[in-house]
Amino acid sequence: MTSSRIANVGLVDHSRVVKFSFDSRSYKGFEGDTLASALLANDQMLMGRSFKYHRPRGPVTAGASEPNALVTIGKDARTEPNTRATVAELYSGMVAKSQNAWPSLKFDIGSINGALSPMLGAGFYYKTFMWPAAFWEKLYEPVIRRAAGLGKAVMEADPDRYEKSWAHCDLLVVGSGPAGLMAALTAARAGLRVILAEQDFRLGGSLLSETAVIGGVSAPDFVSATLAELAAMPNVTLMPRTTVFGWYDDMVFGAVEKVQKHVAVPSADKPVERLWRIAAGRAILASGAEERPLVFGGNDRPGIMTADATRTYLNRYGVATGRKVAVFTNGGSGYRTAADLSARGVNIAAIIDSRAESADYAPYGVRVIRSGSIVDTKGGKRLSGIMTNRFGYDEMIDCDALAMSGGWSPIVHLMCQRGARPVWSQEAQAFLAPDVGPLFIAAGSAAGHATMSECLRDGATKAHAAVEAVGRLVGHVNTPEVEGEYDPSFAPLWYVPGARSKAFVDFQNDVHVDDLALATREGFGHVEHAKRYTTNGMATDQGKLGNVNAVALLAGMRGVSPAEVGTTTYRPFYTPVSFGALAGTARAEQSRPIRTSPLHGWAKKNGATFLESGFWYRSAYFVEGEEKTWRESVDREVLNVRQNAGLCDVSTLGKIEIFGSDAAEFLNRVYSNAFLKLPVGKARYGLMLREDGMVFDDGTTSRLSENHYVMTTTTAYAAEVMAHLEFASQTFWPDLDVRFVSTSDQWAQMSLAGPKSRTILQKLVEEDLSDAAFPFLAAREVRLKGGLSARLFRISFSGELAYELAVSAGYGEAVADAIMEAGREEGICAYGVEALDVLRIEKGHVTHSELDGRTTADDVGLGKMMSAAKPDFIGKRLSTRYGLTAADRLQMVGLKPVELDKPLKAGAALLREGVEPSMTAGQGFVSSACFSPHIGQWIGLAMLKSGRERIGEKILVWDAVRSTEFLAEVCSPVFVDPDNLNLHA
Amino acid sequence: MSISFTHRHILEDRMGGYEPSPNANHLTVVRRPVIFSTLAHAGHEAAVAEALSLVEDVVVRSVSPSDWLVVSQSASAATISASLATIPGLSFAEQSDGQVLMALSGPDVRTILAKCVAVDLHADMFAEGQSAPMMICRVAGNLARTGADAFEIIVPRSHAAYVFDELRDAGREFAMTRGFGD
Amino acid sequence: MASLITCPHCGRRPKEEFSIRGDAVPERPAPAASEEAWHAYVYLRDNPRGNIREYWHHVAGCRRWLVVERDNLTHAVFAVTDAREAAKGGTA
Ligand SMILES: [Zn+2]
Repeated sequence: MTSSRIANVGLVDHSRVVKFSFDSRSYKGFEGDTLASALLANDQMLMGRSFKYHRPRGPVTAGASEPNALVTIGKDARTEPNTRATVAELYSGMVAKSQNAWPSLKFDIGSINGALSPMLGAGFYYKTFMWPAAFWEKLYEPVIRRAAGLGKAVMEADPDRYEKSWAHCDLLVVGSGPAGLMAALTAARAGLRVILAEQDFRLGGSLLSETAVIGGVSAPDFVSATLAELAAMPNVTLMPRTTVFGWYDDMVFGAVEKVQKHVAVPSADKPVERLWRIAAGRAILASGAEERPLVFGGNDRPGIMTADATRTYLNRYGVATGRKVAVFTNGGSGYRTAADLSARGVNIAAIIDSRAESADYAPYGVRVIRSGSIVDTKGGKRLSGIMTNRFGYDEMIDCDALAMSGGWSPIVHLMCQRGARPVWSQEAQAFLAPDVGPLFIAAGSAAGHATMSECLRDGATKAHAAVEAVGRLVGHVNTPEVEGEYDPSFAPLWYVPGARSKAFVDFQNDVHVDDLALATREGFGHVEHAKRYTTNGMATDQGKLGNVNAVALLAGMRGVSPAEVGTTTYRPFYTPVSFGALAGTARAEQSRPIRTSPLHGWAKKNGATFLESGFWYRSAYFVEGEEKTWRESVDREVLNVRQNAGLCDVSTLGKIEIFGSDAAEFLNRVYSNAFLKLPVGKARYGLMLREDGMVFDDGTTSRLSENHYVMTTTTAYAAEVMAHLEFASQTFWPDLDVRFVSTSDQWAQMSLAGPKSRTILQKLVEEDLSDAAFPFLAAREVRLKGGLSARLFRISFSGELAYELAVSAGYGEAVADAIMEAGREEGICAYGVEALDVLRIEKGHVTHSELDGRTTADDVGLGKMMSAAKPDFIGKRLSTRYGLTAADRLQMVGLKPVELDKPLKAGAALLREGVEPSMTAGQGFVSSACFSPHIGQWIGLAMLKSGRERIGEKILVWDAVRSTEFLAEVCSPVFVDPDNLNLHA
Repeated sequence: MSISFTHRHILEDRMGGYEPSPNANHLTVVRRPVIFSTLAHAGHEAAVAEALSLVEDVVVRSVSPSDWLVVSQSASAATISASLATIPGLSFAEQSDGQVLMALSGPDVRTILAKCVAVDLHADMFAEGQSAPMMICRVAGNLARTGADAFEIIVPRSHAAYVFDELRDAGREFAMTRGFGD
Repeated sequence: MASLITCPHCGRRPKEEFSIRGDAVPERPAPAASEEAWHAYVYLRDNPRGNIREYWHHVAGCRRWLVVERDNLTHAVFAVTDAREAAKGGTA
């Protein structure tokens, strides 16, 4: 055994064994372990293979920035690739697998890439696979992808639930280390609503890994006591397992909480992940600092990790990362690590200190090599020795693990997501958080503070300022005394000279120093260029560990300061967020707020097939008896409406109640046709234009009383029309007395159409419905037999004698049932929107297929609805402009294929007969088409250049998508009852 | 021929005829509330607001400075309509079937609602008696606080099934029960 | 774009409750105004960097049209006014 568990050390529960598997082998860990700590405890240092060279890798960190230890966790549909073993909370029954290795982690064929590595330098893809272009898609890319795959996504649907939630607070504290804890405590005691978010499953941050004594107790005990106080306060919300991944406008933070990622089979009553939107008054970034790896030859061998990680595995998880550990450091962290290891009985091979002198003390008997460096390492699946160098003299030192410390970089990602760039500090030798205003400030080591006591004090101070800023009194908070802390200051060391093998900067993407040098030599030394050229920082870890080193190395190569090189752009998310969390509950049936018609139940029991129309499900057609195809059903419905009667659900139309003494005047200004003199009890078809003169929407408006109208809009434009009316009323004509309210949901509305519709309806309605008493366009409140009141409109979209009956939505289904019952002997049928479409095309009535935003009223034959008498209406002024009145505009016509069996399809282009088909020769297009059972062939409505003058002309219908072309005759768009005899029956 | 029409609530299917005894967290769907949209004409806003507050047996929900929903669980639509008709400068339209009223109560109700609304429902920010129009489960609705741990939601009928499903899922971790209430 | 907008009637609300129409600077000309004035009103828009005035509709709230003054670079919101008041009282 080399790495191993130390009895009764750390915060894991040594009495609670957790069984799990890795690459099909069974292991045992403890409750409180991560997958990485448990594997290390079992001497499994090798956890993955690198992306490009397939080099064997072990964990280099113990946290979120881990580039190497990426594994696939879970099984079947719950398989999740590219999970960092260093943050994966161990659970009983966890199934983990290594990735990017074939046939096995130990023996991987892809590692041959390592031997070919001289050919795989920076810019390799660009240089090698440039030519010929066609090879890229067909050959190079598939091969590269197969060789360089990360974990594989599963194809099964995710069986788990996700959700989103809002949270609100006065102060959001991101991170629960020394600064975060003190900030939360200070603000909470002052009565602020505080949220303390921590990505780890255990709160406490670096305090969980340190051996100092705080206020007389161990650091972890100090954490427990502080958390107990916070947890007891009603104004505090503690959020473990919650990563704040994004900072958005107006102090809204995005966070993802892993609610049930630490159990084998999640409870169906909870989501596995919850996406939080946190609206914070203020926020403190207490995300800590990242220890930087050192860039030396062979620095990627399994067993080499940061000193901080080494201490975390030791002190928090009770795991020694080796039996004989070497330390390579440029500051105090390395010495502290040696001391902690030594105190637990681990041998220290040597401390290699890059500095000539320092005030740090090595543990008794430990050799210190000052002004030393490491130039190479050896070992296969694990480190076995390091080649040290001092003043040109080599020395091989045996060891099985190495703790390295290259200094510290504050974790300032969140603060840089909205455009601000981190600021280089020569003094701190690090990029510090930018000033982004008083609402969001950094504290503790995220703000560049070094020692634990500084961080504790800074957290309290920053929260103190936040409390005062919101006008609250600060309660008494003592910053506790710290005993036995160390000084983590360091001397800069960006590159260790004399490397005899690759010195890696970005471990995951296998970017090494020579790649950056090549990029600089070839003119790609700008930080954004170097990133793309070398792929540095482009892996799933987004360079959390390596980017600062890369920037400093580029600076060194270009002979400038890191400040001049600057950083690449920071963007959300800080760590990867699953699609499940981003979707929340919006999946399958709940993917969008669907709307249900009050007649849905009626349609369903009459055999409707539904189609999606915006947020609605509308009944498309009703299958009867042996009908096999939708056309059979639609043809029957159409013929039956024209012969007998049919009932159609039109509840989805928009309905707007309009009130006010100026309502008539207002309508007169929003419609192109006249509305001032519409009598009470009458409906009128109206056309609305956009201000540019094009048709916006059509519908009917009925005057129910002197100052009360009800407008219907198309289903598609209901919301837009309402917003349009509100806009016109509130901004154009605020002095007109008019008010609106949508009552679209209040009414179940049904269209009863067909020659027998009056007979049927009369059985249910008290009032006389004879043509004299209730003529075409009558619109009145009526009473149904039994007393239910209803609105009845004699309007028709089908061209038949027709009524629209509206009843209170709760009675819709019962009334529709009663109409079907009453119409049974008359041969009534239910019909859907497909039949409705056929009926209106046969009659030449337009929908938004024709009113597509490019058509004027005249284009669709409604020029007479443009009032010349009105001084103003929306769209009037520009409707007469040049181009909208041109003679060769597309005009609506009817079309009939010359051969009866040719199916006309909407979207087909129209061309002159005999012309070679091309889009440039286009004369127009088919806007709507259907099979007309009445005519006995396919018919259509089309927009055709100067169409109305071309009735009788044969024209070529060319459908490039379906590869058809045939001749059709241009005809009147009204195929049925041109004199409207049925309408007025 | 006289016909008696059956009234149907849009959430009838969602209940499946099974209503468990309510848990601490419970969602009540009010079966037949009376709801009116009321609109003040320009210049009458304050007077109308005052007059609405005097109508008996109703609660008034804020929609905008000139719009309110008037809700009653005890008076009839005819009674309320008659009262509203006497208020000068007011227009109104019945929405009893156009809007669905749901009441949520229980110790975890704020946590449940935080999944559905973006508005801060802390008692200091949204006090008892307060109401406002807002997006509820991605649907434009109205929310009112009727008690420390009690809220009422009004959403358009066509969206009610969707909202109900979302609330049901949101309440699942707190074992929220659901049922009709009259 | 802002994440939260403070409606003068409803308070602080998420952007999802609003729909944005666009530039609030052009004013609808009188019916008899010149063709150039109408053309400019319907088609011509400045595309400034920095301060802009836009019409926002509080669709899922009070359904009032609002004039939002904001910075399209920093996303800072300076003022939100009811459009009717803005229309009646000239510029807000
Ligand atoms: Zn509002």
